[in-house]
Amino acid sequence: MAMKPRLKLRVSGIGKDFLIPVIETVSFGVEAGEFVCLLGPNGCGKTTLLRIIGGIEPATRGAVLLDGQPVVAGDAHSRKVGVVFQEDRLLPWMTLEQNVALVLKPLGLGAEERHALARRHLVLAGLAGFEHYYPGRVSGGMRQRAAIARALAIEPDVLLMDEPFGALDAQNRRIMQNEVRRIWKETGRTILFVTHSIEEAVAIGTTLVMLSARPSHIRELIRNDGRVERGRLIDDLNTMIMEEVERQQGGAA
Amino acid sequence: MKSLDEWVDRLHLPTLTVTAVAVVAWSLLSWRYGAYVLPSPRAVVGGLADILRTGEVWTHTGASLSRILIGFGGAVGLALLMGLASFLSRRARAVVHDVLAVLNSTSVFVWIVLSIIWFGLSRWAPIFTTLMITLPVVASNIVEGVENVDRRLLEMGDVYRLGGREKFRAIVVPSTLPYLVAGMKVGFGLALKVSVVAEIFGVTSGIGYIMNYSREILATQMVFAWALVMVLVMMVTDKLVFDSISRRLSRWR
Repeated sequence: MAMKPRLKLRVSGIGKDFLIPVIETVSFGVEAGEFVCLLGPNGCGKTTLLRIIGGIEPATRGAVLLDGQPVVAGDAHSRKVGVVFQEDRLLPWMTLEQNVALVLKPLGLGAEERHALARRHLVLAGLAGFEHYYPGRVSGGMRQRAAIARALAIEPDVLLMDEPFGALDAQNRRIMQNEVRRIWKETGRTILFVTHSIEEAVAIGTTLVMLSARPSHIRELIRNDGRVERGRLIDDLNTMIMEEVERQQGGAA
Repeated sequence: MKSLDEWVDRLHLPTLTVTAVAVVAWSLLSWRYGAYVLPSPRAVVGGLADILRTGEVWTHTGASLSRILIGFGGAVGLALLMGLASFLSRRARAVVHDVLAVLNSTSVFVWIVLSIIWFGLSRWAPIFTTLMITLPVVASNIVEGVENVDRRLLEMGDVYRLGGREKFRAIVVPSTLPYLVAGMKVGFGLALKVSVVAEIFGVTSGIGYIMNYSREILATQMVFAWALVMVLVMMVTDKLVFDSISRRLSRWR
């Protein structure tokens, strides 16, 4: 009997209330090396869900298992989670290299090794030659590249990205999408990527998780394996999201 | 070639013009009212040359500065402790806030009188007065700096599991330093002005003492000369010490 590949990440029955229920219940599994995009109407709790999975925020209900280990906000676990936030969150007084090397400290590496690793990941993120620049001296796109390099440098078991290109212009956004796709192929990392752009999700994700309007559950889980033609898929998802938006507005009225 | 306008600004010509007019007016007034009320500019410059030649200027400036360094240094030390406490505990922060509000509203004269009662006519009286007056200025700045540490950067530190000490060193200290330097700059100016007042009582050295003594022996030109010394000390420390520290701190901007 063939063993089913063990899930890298299991989200089971996660729910979150902020006075009112925001996330009703969400469950899904992610296999190692998958590139999952979380989609949904504004305010459906995509970012909150990502923060719960990252152990940044506690859930009201349910559990998150990373390699079988529970991830609970405030509790230590042995798995590594890399996060790329909406903003770069680099320390402005440290060079790009120092920024990346800083997060390697808790891994107990020596200074030389940390800086070598930092340089290697900055190069991977397309920042060769900018290692000694301060964040304020490079463009927004390059800062976000450095944030990605930082997240990758710890060799995360899962890489969480929360609308990382939201602040970038359309051209840079396109470039960064290709970059993330390339980095994903080169490193084989498991990625969870929150976006509100359907085009972005279809362009880079292998699995698309569409959340419903608040209180959210999973509306649709789609394998983006090319079996459905792209234009068609984008149209379908757009219809879905509009239905959810209307439902949310109808519910509020 | 530089334009005429640029040279005018660079040489502070407008300021020099105003100064020249003021000196002329001063000469006329001194001629009208006599040397006791308003000594001539020439007498003041002569007085300044005298104390420079005899070295008296160093004795009294040194005495004043050493008291300032002890009193102001103590204030900076205490302010740092208050900043640390308000970083570590929300409750401590509330206490520090209230204490500073009270200190901020206490008059210089209260501390001068109290320090004479407590320390008698000794050098500790001006030191204590300086400490109590500069403490709220420096501490308010540090506490404000601690409160303005970017929460999002601290959250980043949590995500990457930086220890408390590492977060303090890499995030809290660098973001608070500019506030500390700004507070010290204002505080030092205040220290110089206040300690001189406190030196009127009880001590037999220092700029405040010698100014009061000059007044008693009717040497008004020396009062002016020592006032000039104070202004020069102030401007020199501002330029040499605080400006260069500020420049060094904002290297990454």
